[in-house]
Amino acid sequence: MSICSEWDKIDPREYRGIWAYLEVEDGVLGEGGLQMLGVARNLASQKDTYVGGVLIGKGVSSLAREAIYYGADKVFIADDEKFEEYYAALYAEALASLAKEHKPEVILVSGTMRGREFTPYVANTLRTGITADCTSFEVDPAVKDVLGVRPTFGAYLIAHIRTLNRRPAIFTARPNVFPTPERNPAREGEIIHTQPKVADGYGVKLVNKKRFSRGTVPIEKAKILVSGGKGLGSRDGFTILQEFAKVIGGEISGSRKAVDAGWITHDKQVGQTGKTVRSDLYFAVGISGAVQHLYGIREARCVVAINKDPDAPIFDNCDYGLIGDYTEVIPALIKAVKKLQARKTE
Amino acid sequence: MDIVVCIKWVPNTTSVNIDQKTGTLIRSGVPSVINPHDLHALEIALTLKDRFGGSVTAITMAPPSAKLGLEHAIGMGCDRAILLTDMVYAGADTLATSYTLAKTISKLKFDLILVGQETVDSSTAHIGAQVASWLHIPYLYYVVDVNYLGDGKIWAKRLLEDAYEEYELTLPALLAAAMHSTHPRRVKLSYKLRCKSEQIIEVWSNKTLGLEANCVGLKGSPTIVRKTSFVPEVPRKKIVCKPKDVEQAAEWLIKRLIEERLLKI
Ligand SMILES: Cc1cc2nc3c(=O)[nH]c(=O)nc-3n(C[C@H](O)[C@H](O)[C@H](O)COP(=O)(O)OP(=O)(O)OC[C@H]3O[C@@H](n4cnc5c(N)ncnc54)[C@H](O)[C@@H]3O)c2cc1C
Ligand SMILES: Nc1ncnc2c1ncn2[C@@H]1O[C@H](COP(=O)(O)O)[C@@H](O)[C@H]1O
Repeated sequence: MSICSEWDKIDPREYRGIWAYLEVEDGVLGEGGLQMLGVARNLASQKDTYVGGVLIGKGVSSLAREAIYYGADKVFIADDEKFEEYYAALYAEALASLAKEHKPEVILVSGTMRGREFTPYVANTLRTGITADCTSFEVDPAVKDVLGVRPTFGAYLIAHIRTLNRRPAIFTARPNVFPTPERNPAREGEIIHTQPKVADGYGVKLVNKKRFSRGTVPIEKAKILVSGGKGLGSRDGFTILQEFAKVIGGEISGSRKAVDAGWITHDKQVGQTGKTVRSDLYFAVGISGAVQHLYGIREARCVVAINKDPDAPIFDNCDYGLIGDYTEVIPALIKAVKKLQARKTE
Repeated sequence: MDIVVCIKWVPNTTSVNIDQKTGTLIRSGVPSVINPHDLHALEIALTLKDRFGGSVTAITMAPPSAKLGLEHAIGMGCDRAILLTDMVYAGADTLATSYTLAKTISKLKFDLILVGQETVDSSTAHIGAQVASWLHIPYLYYVVDVNYLGDGKIWAKRLLEDAYEEYELTLPALLAAAMHSTHPRRVKLSYKLRCKSEQIIEVWSNKTLGLEANCVGLKGSPTIVRKTSFVPEVPRKKIVCKPKDVEQAAEWLIKRLIEERLLKI
């Protein structure tokens, strides 16, 4: 079979191992990469192969042990001055160069903002297939390839995607859909120092960076979320939700319509184009329950819906539902909590 | 500055419905729109043109019906538009799509390429990075603001989870506009009318581009959809009531959540 002349010929059978790219955030291994180690472990045991962890940066060698504790059998390290700043093309070429040399079958990258930025470049450099934003993975029983499962067509459908004949197969995964594996300090593994081939410059330079604190727990980490939608009617609605969140120790989040209306910032949007949350409790207040929204709350343990429309789809997708106007229901909930708190302190 | 904007003509996924009887997706009759995120790319490009001069060319790879999307782009103020359409381009994944777009762009005179952050139908966010990769040019995602510095350089600001970052990029470069980054301008009828009188929208087939059939469309795509399915439902208790006494119901619910150890007070 002839292939595109821009592609090099490869033998897919030479490729072994499931790699997880480990993003370093503020000197520690990012949660996303750890989640990928968990996925990699699972796939590697089905395919009877090893789990690789990839660390790129300056001074990252010290994190290799941690990567092993979280599930890596081999850690590939590119620790060098030139990786001090992250630049998409630089990191992409480094990872691609390691993949060319060590030939993994699969590379998994958590779809953090950076992950989504540089991974497609890796795939292109290797002339291979990439599947974005996977929410689960499976080993195809017939062909034994790893398939990435992802929402498509506005989350109405899910597609099971296979990379045919090209290796490595590359996937980004949706953050927080997969659990972080357990840390086991008794685990052992191999540490491999590498020198990936990269160019001297990529025509891009960071000239300024301003960190800011949002002052709240990120919604993907919150245990309790009180989420508001278009049904709040105005920004003031969030003041009532904020008060409720405060008495139960939660955080606020919102639907896309609430974000589009400017009532809450985009980092607090739940759903397909927002975040996946894993809270124990999720209150959906004045949210209709569109499929794209529901996609973000699949991992929530308990969903409580408050909506005045008894036919709102959210009621088919909740654990508890109260049909009513939120301006009555939320104050009643606040009152109930306060009453129980008062009884407890008596 | 000469700017190329990549836009996609997508089904308006908000108006898709599920046929409750058959459980299938009703795709027919779903109107299409310009991918909403690409409007920000167009706005950034047109603002740069307003300030620094030059031209803006919109391109899309799509079936012929996407001409309507390009008319919208012309209506916003683009100078030129190119529709890449050919049967051999059908079935392309992001590798093949980005290849075709990159090969087209390399035939044009350009300093800067703008793309949207992602599309609403496939939402991969791949194309920007992949086009930059084929062309070997610097790129940056999540861009909220751009300025031309002269001397073949631009400044771009982007928003990450917990930081603003400012970069200098050497032209030619590619930027992906962040969602919510601008207020896209409306279509002006007088601009749009130019589509009727002038040959402002060019249609390029593979005769024009002359790309190897093995590198485009389905053949140039390493990924295939093995199957599709509906999103499995999450099992939920679905205990729903319309309370007569809201306060009583609220108390019942809170107690229940405490019992289930979901809430601590
Ligand atoms: C590609 C794509 C991606 C998307 N991504 C996301 C995403 O990430 N997140 C997301 O949320 N959406 C997303 N959407 C949008 C989604 O389709 C819906 O439009 C959106 O979720 C609706 O938001 P909502 O429920 O707040 O508003 P609406 O659908 O307008 O619902 C408002 C609800 O409030 C109720 N209500 C009104 N007044 C009151 C009251 N006083 N008390 C109680 N209830 C009241 C109404 O009965 C109604 O059910 C996406 C869409 C597309 C096409
Ligand atoms: N077929 C296409 N033609 C032109 N531009 C496209 C096409 N597909 C995607 N793009 C551009 O690439 C961006 C990212 O798309 P995607 O990678 O498909 O999520 C979009 O916002 C568009 O700017």
